[in-house]
Amino acid sequence: MTLTLALRLTEILLALALIQQGLEHVVRFRDELRLFLARTGLCVLVVLGVGSPWPLVGLALLSLLILQRFQGPYNGGSDRMGLLALWCLMLARLMPTPALQEVFFGYLGAQLILSYVMSGGVKVINPDWRSGRALAHVFRFSAYPVSEDLRAWAKRPRVLLAMSWAVMLFELAFPLTLLSRESLIVGLVIAATFHLANACLFGLNRFFWTWLATYPALLWLQARLLG
Amino acid sequence: MFRLLLPALVPSWNFFDVIAPSPRVEYALMDSASQAPADWREFRPRPQRVSLATMAQRLLWNPGWNESLFLVSCAERLINQPTEHSRDELFKRIAADLAGGAEAATDPWLCFRLVFVSLERDEIAREVLFQSVPRRLGEIAVR
Repeated sequence: MTLTLALRLTEILLALALIQQGLEHVVRFRDELRLFLARTGLCVLVVLGVGSPWPLVGLALLSLLILQRFQGPYNGGSDRMGLLALWCLMLARLMPTPALQEVFFGYLGAQLILSYVMSGGVKVINPDWRSGRALAHVFRFSAYPVSEDLRAWAKRPRVLLAMSWAVMLFELAFPLTLLSRESLIVGLVIAATFHLANACLFGLNRFFWTWLATYPALLWLQARLLG
Repeated sequence: MFRLLLPALVPSWNFFDVIAPSPRVEYALMDSASQAPADWREFRPRPQRVSLATMAQRLLWNPGWNESLFLVSCAERLINQPTEHSRDELFKRIAADLAGGAEAATDPWLCFRLVFVSLERDEIAREVLFQSVPRRLGEIAVR
């Protein structure tokens, strides 16, 4: 995948993810309506490829106002990944040379790898995760399960132990998927399935779309480094 | 503003590293500001069951749940780094739900509390870590 194609794909997917998120805000409060209608308008320009890179610059500036409005990200990690992708894309687009563009876009790809490896690392050093207790706690009393019925999963310790180790091993082994294009595609399909499960069980739909949007950055980075 | 942006540009990616006590928002309506709140109700209790079709639909449209997750963040901030912003957001969103509900709120004063749920000796434990001062419903902007 060429840098040009990967940049374009990432910005389109990110803009679509931001439109999806933004529409969730426009039905609620006036101050949010103004911010997110403006953001949606800029995202449409990004999808259409009009006026590049200025809609991305506008989105980056608007992201500061949105951060100010909510005194931080509205939805934690998913919004942080969205911000990271947006700023990396904007800076890459503003750079005068392909080498500098690669630095900022490559940073996004590298952070995507770290998002899995670091998540696996902080879990595997925690005895509660290694025993499956942490995941049992997530189901039993955390704010995430979307229904009361899902809390019953806390009573399946063997299933949760297997799930915990499956998640940790996949996250820790994720860099190995970079060995070839085929293994990376398989790895990204598994990762997307993991995000889909989180969206269904814990209502984390923003993670699914935001992480998916950054996958072209990694497909490009893998080809650039090992292709 | 860049203080808020920096954790996104240099992320830590420590998702679910520790499963901390989890906040629930409860609210009560009262006749007067001096009345002690008694009838506490859970704000947006989760449904007993969510169908696969609803889960699929929520991939594209999930504003209520995402707002609830934002309120979890506000609740945690209110305990760790209390700000007027977090308090206002909680009041505003509870009042907005009450204003848009099928049953009109008859009592004019609203207050909320944050109950943190955790596991102690394998039993669910609930601890109230914050209770707001009552506010008059009519004075909370809900649009």
